Amino acid sequence: MPLSEPMLTARDVHRHFEGMHAVDGVSIEIEPGRITGLIGPNGAGKSTFMAVLAGTLPASSGTIVFRGEDITRLPAHQRARRGLVRTFQLPSEFAQLTVLENLLVAAPDNRGESLLGALLGKRYWVADENRLVAQARGLLKRFGLLAKESDYAGMLSGGQKRLVEIMRALMLRPRLLLLDEPMSGVHPSIVSEIAGYLETLRDEGLTILMVEHELHMVDRLCDPVIVMAQGKVIGQGGMAMLRKQPEIVEAYLVG
Amino acid sequence: MSLLIAAFGFGLVSMSVIALAAVGFTMQFGITNMINLAYYLNKAGISIWIAMLGGAAFGAVFSFLINRFVYAPFQRKGTALLGMVIVSLAISLMISNAMLPIVGYFSVSYRERFSHLLHVGALALTVNQIAIIVLAMGVMLAVHGLLRYTRLGKAMRATAANPTLARNCGIPTQRVIDVVWLITGGLCGLAGVVAALDSDSFMIASGAGFLITALAAAVLGGAGQPYGAMIGAVVIGLVTELSAAVWAPDYKQVVAFGILVLVMVLRPQGLLAKRGALAAAG
Amino acid sequence: MNTYYAANLLIFAGVDIIACLALNLQFGVSGVVNFSFIIFQAAGAYAAAILSMPPDTAPDYSFQIYVGGYQLPFPIPWIGGAVAGALLALPVGVVVLRRLRADYQAIALLVTSIIANTVINNARPLLNGAAGVALVPQPLQDQFNTNANSYQYLYIALTAICVALVWFVAARIVNSPYGRTLRAMRDNEIAATALGKNPTALKMTIFTVGGAIAGLSGAILVGFLTVWAPSTWLYPETIILFAAVIVGGRGNNLGAILGALLVPVGFEEVTRLLGRMNVGPPNLIPALEWVCIGLFILGFLWFRPKGVLPEPRHVFAGGPIEEDTRWIEGTRAS
Repeated sequence: MPLSEPMLTARDVHRHFEGMHAVDGVSIEIEPGRITGLIGPNGAGKSTFMAVLAGTLPASSGTIVFRGEDITRLPAHQRARRGLVRTFQLPSEFAQLTVLENLLVAAPDNRGESLLGALLGKRYWVADENRLVAQARGLLKRFGLLAKESDYAGMLSGGQKRLVEIMRALMLRPRLLLLDEPMSGVHPSIVSEIAGYLETLRDEGLTILMVEHELHMVDRLCDPVIVMAQGKVIGQGGMAMLRKQPEIVEAYLVG
Repeated sequence: MSLLIAAFGFGLVSMSVIALAAVGFTMQFGITNMINLAYYLNKAGISIWIAMLGGAAFGAVFSFLINRFVYAPFQRKGTALLGMVIVSLAISLMISNAMLPIVGYFSVSYRERFSHLLHVGALALTVNQIAIIVLAMGVMLAVHGLLRYTRLGKAMRATAANPTLARNCGIPTQRVIDVVWLITGGLCGLAGVVAALDSDSFMIASGAGFLITALAAAVLGGAGQPYGAMIGAVVIGLVTELSAAVWAPDYKQVVAFGILVLVMVLRPQGLLAKRGALAAAG
Repeated sequence: MNTYYAANLLIFAGVDIIACLALNLQFGVSGVVNFSFIIFQAAGAYAAAILSMPPDTAPDYSFQIYVGGYQLPFPIPWIGGAVAGALLALPVGVVVLRRLRADYQAIALLVTSIIANTVINNARPLLNGAAGVALVPQPLQDQFNTNANSYQYLYIALTAICVALVWFVAARIVNSPYGRTLRAMRDNEIAATALGKNPTALKMTIFTVGGAIAGLSGAILVGFLTVWAPSTWLYPETIILFAAVIVGGRGNNLGAILGALLVPVGFEEVTRLLGRMNVGPPNLIPALEWVCIGLFILGFLWFRPKGVLPEPRHVFAGGPIEEDTRWIEGTRAS
């Protein structure tokens, strides 16, 4: 795919709930190889828009094109298989699985993951399993959680749960990672560490769209930035440029 | 028609963030027990209409206590939704079986019977049935007024929409939930007495069938929507009664179940709700 | 203790173990609260009955009416029982598991159980209604004297083989990547969906597997009892099995076995003993039994929600670490 083409295009996407327009005609393009920020006041429709992109909620109308394919009607799990992977605002680890198991679950290509594969026995799937365990441990080492691989994910700290969720998403080999407030509920001392990991991933070529409230994080990581308010996009571009637009400053950056 | 009152309570409570199943099972045993209570009051020579009030009051207090001493502690402990379903089913089984040796596994019928028919056009209704319809409509109007025009009703709707936000806004959500249980329990008690009044006899085992019709009404109307439950109850009530008239009364529940299956296949979000019983999104 | 009593106990234990292993796969491992579990056992029992019985026009059978009657030899009725359980799981699963919220799924399944019982109870031409089917031929009865002790031993052995087979299947599922995905779905269904798992498909597979195993348990039971009627599969029977899985330990196959031995088998025996001692009015003991089962469930959920034998932690042996993380395709693209 040529670099000039956007990773994802949303055209006039709407999402209504019981008469409320949570997402009201949003059109955006996500450039590959960048961290695009999505900011806006509470209730602006950011999380709903992320959920619509990932397919957790269906769009009421509009079109979503991901890597040249119209995915508007695809269910969430098929979007994930195509490389459009999201994380959640609230911690959503598999609490009664170990950290390593959390990562292994996400791997898409394990012969033992079908009922038939399971019944055929360990010999049938052990090669896949060993390969994936080695890969997952590589990720755990890179993110500094190798020592925790056998801990139950439910017992981790907020920041560690965030890291598990990001690693879990990476196990799927995503083309576009949708992060919904990846720093929320994380101890301030770890926020910078997570930001560093995200920067490295970007430098390696991963495309990320993230909702974030902390403006200094947005300044550090995100370019471009999309500003939403009341279900609509009210501005996009670099943070420096956005700060010069009075209506955006008024809508969000100040108050 | 007695279904109307109960299904309305069903919608009312499921709206108020309490696990639907808990309400369902509470209703199931609440109703059966109130029938028996009213039966004994009635046997002791008290008019069935007064016994009905007794049933409602007892149902209210009973369900309030069960919530306070069983459901609420389990919820505080962090028991998940499905855990609550199992807890309430266990409670339901325990209570109806604790009742069994006391009241026996036989059917009861009330002493006060109005046999004379009134003809309204082509319809022939007993005085009892007319009284039940009037009662049901009265209850519906009362709950409608409560939800729409009172501060308590607004607090209930706010608690249902977002309990955390409601608490942060200064709404005493715990007390609101207590009140909702009182009202539901009262409606269940009422529905129980009325259900037995409408049919010739009633026994403990009849409660299970009741769960089906109430669930069908709630799902049909759109879960968590009091007005949906009301419309659902009217539709289910009419269809099952008609089917009993033209087919066989034995299959009343089967007809209600058929409607439930159709709704689940064709329109799982219910007639009114946009989201309702569908899996909530993160 | 005579042979018949011992055989009775062992075969009931075997059937309950099989049923609890199946329910553990659905409820303990996958989080599917199948309140209609008992109808799958019933489907297997009825299927095995009509596969092994002669048509209802046969001289000794004309007092009952039922569909079919194929006189097929063992083990076809048992296999047929498992197939019937699996086939029943398809329509029930498609209607209930597709789009409803989890708590509605649970009640819808309970309601399904009640309705199925009502229909079979009232529609006599189907499976002889409330009276149920009787004189169901026992496996291999043309080759053995079914009244002899040796036949009891044979039946125990056949049951034991089935227990071993079901254990084998359950263990393979629980210890596989497939089982891991089921457990992930149980812990957080929306997150599992976001990672590319199809929860409806996953639930359908485990619903069908559990249905087949439940059907097999019904076939074993009817071959031993030789009768089967709606009163033997009322919905509270499912609750006993739930109590067993909760007490034994959700998600642990050994826990399911322990639970089966403690709750259904243990309770049966205790009530049988108390029944002999003529304590209290006639309905008191069974009613108290239910109160105890309720207390068991509440007590365990409150004090020891993981059960006597909690789900084991899955730990992986040390191995190589793939430090080159360029396999993440998204990052390799540029």
